[in-house]
Amino acid sequence: MRRLRLLVTIAMVILPTLGLDAQAQDSSVSSEYLIKAGFIYNFANLVQWPSNAFTQPDSPIVIGILGEDPFGTVLDRVLAGKKVNGRIFVVKRLKSVPDLKECQIVFVSSSEMPHLAEAIRLVKGMPILTIGELPGFAQRGGIINLVLEDNKVHFEVNVEAAKEAELNISSRLLALARIVQEPTADKRKTE
Amino acid sequence: MLTIHPRKAASTAYTIRALLLIALVLSSAAAASAQSLPDVTAMSVEDLMNVQVTSVSKRSQKLADAAAAIFVITQEDIRRSGATSIPEALRMVPGLQVARIDENKWAITSRGFNGRFANKLLVLIDGRSVYTPLFSGVYWNIQDVMLEDVERIEVIRGPGATLWGANAVNGVINIITKPAESTQSALASAGGGTEMLGSGSARYGGRVRKNTYYRAYAKYFNVAESIDPSTGRSAYDNWDALRGGFRTDWTPAGADSLTLQGDIHRSGYGETLTIPSLDTPYSSTFPNNGSISGGNLLGRWNHSFANSSTSLQMYFDRTSITENSLFTDHENIFDIDFQHTFHASGSQEVVWGLGYRSSHDGNDSSSTVSLQPSHLTLNLFSAFAQDEISLLDKRLRITVGSKFEHNGFTGFEVEPNTRLLWTITRNQSVWTAVSRAVRTPALTEEGLRLNSETIPPGIPQNPTPLPTLISVYGSRQFKSEDLLAYEAGYRMQVTSNFSADIAVFYNHYTHLRTAEPGTPFLETSPTPVHIVAPFVAENKMGGGTYGTELFADWRVLPKWRLLSSYSYLQIDIRKDLDSLDPTADNPGLVSPRHQFYVRSSIDLPKHFEHDFDVRYTDRLPGLNIPSYYSLDTHFGWRPRKDWELSVGSQNLLNKRHLEFLPDFINTSPTEVKRTFYGSVTWRFE
Repeated sequence: MRRLRLLVTIAMVILPTLGLDAQAQDSSVSSEYLIKAGFIYNFANLVQWPSNAFTQPDSPIVIGILGEDPFGTVLDRVLAGKKVNGRIFVVKRLKSVPDLKECQIVFVSSSEMPHLAEAIRLVKGMPILTIGELPGFAQRGGIINLVLEDNKVHFEVNVEAAKEAELNISSRLLALARIVQEPTADKRKTE
Repeated sequence: MLTIHPRKAASTAYTIRALLLIALVLSSAAAASAQSLPDVTAMSVEDLMNVQVTSVSKRSQKLADAAAAIFVITQEDIRRSGATSIPEALRMVPGLQVARIDENKWAITSRGFNGRFANKLLVLIDGRSVYTPLFSGVYWNIQDVMLEDVERIEVIRGPGATLWGANAVNGVINIITKPAESTQSALASAGGGTEMLGSGSARYGGRVRKNTYYRAYAKYFNVAESIDPSTGRSAYDNWDALRGGFRTDWTPAGADSLTLQGDIHRSGYGETLTIPSLDTPYSSTFPNNGSISGGNLLGRWNHSFANSSTSLQMYFDRTSITENSLFTDHENIFDIDFQHTFHASGSQEVVWGLGYRSSHDGNDSSSTVSLQPSHLTLNLFSAFAQDEISLLDKRLRITVGSKFEHNGFTGFEVEPNTRLLWTITRNQSVWTAVSRAVRTPALTEEGLRLNSETIPPGIPQNPTPLPTLISVYGSRQFKSEDLLAYEAGYRMQVTSNFSADIAVFYNHYTHLRTAEPGTPFLETSPTPVHIVAPFVAENKMGGGTYGTELFADWRVLPKWRLLSSYSYLQIDIRKDLDSLDPTADNPGLVSPRHQFYVRSSIDLPKHFEHDFDVRYTDRLPGLNIPSYYSLDTHFGWRPRKDWELSVGSQNLLNKRHLEFLPDFINTSPTEVKRTFYGSVTWRFE
């Protein structure tokens, strides 16, 4: 009886972990940040930057992560070897807010809530696609906000902020987005 | 000084086995080398939007902001733990003491003083306080929600009186459900097992207009009775509950959001009750039962201005408890609360608020329990203000504030605190706090009479020819219990995969409750004539408690997460010199000195998930309960994104163990058994 119990215990605790070795077969990992990495790639594809955003026709698309990096190595691995319009991707972890001026995409991690206003003020008018995952990110001047709903990733787009950054967001993307605006008095009634 | 208690050989064997298992898990997982990720760049935005994701805990974000020992249980944590009730989910909180007395009774506390009627923990569900004015504690068998709709449970160890008021003495638990917008699918779930015989729940969420979302749910479960370890027969501690509710969120364009939500519930429970009697054999033990019903309705209006926000919340809550052979009680609570947050300058954020609470209690007594007066309305007025000052580029935040309350029993109470948070680097912060909290008297502490035991005549303890009834009395002179708490903590995000935090505290209590012997008197009714030996509630105990709680969260691999916690608690509470309370045991004897756990969550191929947790709870010398280990496991499988199957077991290591004993009301405790359960969940649009 005691032995049986031990066997059951081992079966319940150990066996499943053996499956970790077989992870390569798994075709549909669904961790939040893997999917978000997929979104970032798609955004890069469906957003057009003004020509002055890049120094060379083949300059890489620089993605800066501001704040605690929630991706680990996932974003680098997802984008490794991928190209959009002949441009490769470079992922940087930004040490300070001013560094974000060298990026075409800035991912604002949720740890940056306290510095959000400062970050948005700094990139205002520059051709930088800001992507956040904070409640109210797009309302506060961010361009795209990733939101979790029922364990699925949705996104909000602040069209005004995109216009100011001279970014052209494809209508295909806008059709799937929830359009949000900054809640200033004059804009409120148009919602 | 840490002292390691000599444990029984058997539990040492378990320890070794548990450690061996953990080691095996570690090694096998470490062997899993670099895996290739699926190519998400080949997926369209539409595809990506349809993938159900497992969300990473938002713990670090919450943690970084709080100058308090806060712990957050996420929806994912609840789902992965396989918890079927709120108390079970709370077992994962570092340092919280969660113990089951029987199938429908729990003793839950933070930082000591546990008991079925533990009274130093405040619990809120969506902003609605669920502590009962009867004993300033929580009837855990009343509190339930649709667990799938919980967004998170925030647990603050330590006082939270400045924001939440009296009774947030040793901790605050905030159960927060998702907004209706986040539960826009239908969900049906059914399950069963060896303990929870059957459970079923259903929820439907939808949208009325562009900005109005709603959901409604119903939930039922039936828990089997277990065996009374002292008799080997049924303990009659079965439990069943039916509840339903709704939530609507209306967000008109602009700055307003309105929430209206409510629940109704009805449950029945059983127990084996022992009450004193005045004839031989001077006590009677029998299967007893009770029923609880009630409901609540809550409305909240949030409005944000350019630089500030306001919140107005109102609720009504009714609970009717019929404890057969003991007590019937009807409680009606109305509560209104207003809060205003604004930025006084670039570096100052001020929150202030006003509150009013009216609670009406009506009760019917029995020969064992009575409460005077039988009808009573209590009014509570409160106000608070708190200023958060940011200095040094927001790296240093100082919070000062206080609550001011006026209650019907003790009049004015002031509960100030001051907190300091220093963000050393982006990944490290330290905090410290000094706060005062009070626990205001409960109805029972003012007007209770509880006959707890009869001492037969003619025995050494009672040489008189008359039976002596030991009765516990409340007292109009009973005052608030007082706490002055000193806390500090350190948090560190070592790498993106590893974070840890530690909290230490010293709590100094005064005016804690004792039961002082009064003058015995003769009572002729009920017959036969008997002596009453009264024990009256007074405030003659005090002292210090100190301890530490450690927590570490390690994402070993993208698909494997390990969480572990250790807590140490030392209680040095003594009765005052003038106290004659013969039962004032050091409360430290009913709290585990050491607790630890390791929890593992693994995502397996083919949408399988596996979780286990090993918990150790130190012995409770005051209750004669030995230390124990327990191992829970959970398997989940999502063959399709809309189906989820789950099987699990609890307490796999030892067949059964006792976790706690009842206090005041003498019901038979039952052991926590090895149990198995399974459930199916279906989500559809």
